Amino acid sequence: MEIVFGRLDDSIARFTLSGASEAFANALRRSMIGEVPTLAIEDVRIYDNTSVLFDEMLAHRIGMIPIKTDLSRFVRREACKCEGAGCPHCQVTFTLTVEGPGMVTSGDLVSEDPMTVPVDTNIPLVKLWEDQKLVIEAVAYLNTGTEHAKWQSTIACGYKQYPVIEVTDQCDGCGMCVDECPRNVLEVKGQTVRVVEGKIEACSLCKLCEKACIGTGIGEDSAINIDSDRTKYLFIVESDGSIPAQQIIEEGLRYIRKRSDEIIESLQEISMEGQ
Amino acid sequence: MIPVRCFTCGKVISTVWDEFKERKAAGEDPKEILDSLGLERYCCRRMLLSHKEIIDELYPYQ
Repeated sequence: MEIVFGRLDDSIARFTLSGASEAFANALRRSMIGEVPTLAIEDVRIYDNTSVLFDEMLAHRIGMIPIKTDLSRFVRREACKCEGAGCPHCQVTFTLTVEGPGMVTSGDLVSEDPMTVPVDTNIPLVKLWEDQKLVIEAVAYLNTGTEHAKWQSTIACGYKQYPVIEVTDQCDGCGMCVDECPRNVLEVKGQTVRVVEGKIEACSLCKLCEKACIGTGIGEDSAINIDSDRTKYLFIVESDGSIPAQQIIEEGLRYIRKRSDEIIESLQEISMEGQ
Repeated sequence: MIPVRCFTCGKVISTVWDEFKERKAAGEDPKEILDSLGLERYCCRRMLLSHKEIIDELYPYQ
């Protein structure tokens, strides 16, 4: 199994995973979406809210704010040594005190931990007028996307099979498929059609080119064939900013390893019982 | 108020609402604005295109 990165920065990673099965590719996708923990505001204590929004709506908006998370410093509430009492290892408290008029933004949230702050400081929460006031205490916990989407650290996270485009000798270079392709993957070169250099990954496997080719009256079989490589997958992982994209991939893979080890352990336990 | 995140993919889109609103009022083509704001997917684009701000109308009824 091999991973080759096409692009890697804090917000987006594009890579090809080769030598893997579809099942593994999907397991990786699912663990990155649902099993990589991140911080999000869960408990909100509202001391004063005279704004035009209801408490619940305000709490929901505050919960959706992505928060920068250093995973090495936090543990989940259930696993913490404080046994649910609340300590700096399992929770971060934010306070927000704003008086109108003006726009309340995520930058107004004051964190007790200078490293753990909202990713964006200009997310609008509510607009306040004269004599309106907000006094809020919010507590962020570590949890995963399977519990609620606010704990999901990925935005767009998915894969597709690697496209394989073959042009047979029958091609006369009429260019009908080139005009039809919505992603501009193909070009006419001399008497035949070929893939534009570096554009193969843009192909969405829509097969409109095959239909266009048959439409020219070339016969029963299309001169261009679109197939996919069942062992090679193109991934896109986009982070919401709470955790760098590379760490999301690492944590996703670590989760798969942890669960696989658990299966081995329980299988061994079962087989020991039988003896 | 504009939703904090895109309903479908979860990208934070509320941060660009003010700029979108101003540039649209200035007569710029929404397609150009969305492209320059980096909103690639149509789920995020519809969040801004179809949004109607009503918080100013709520104010008298607090």
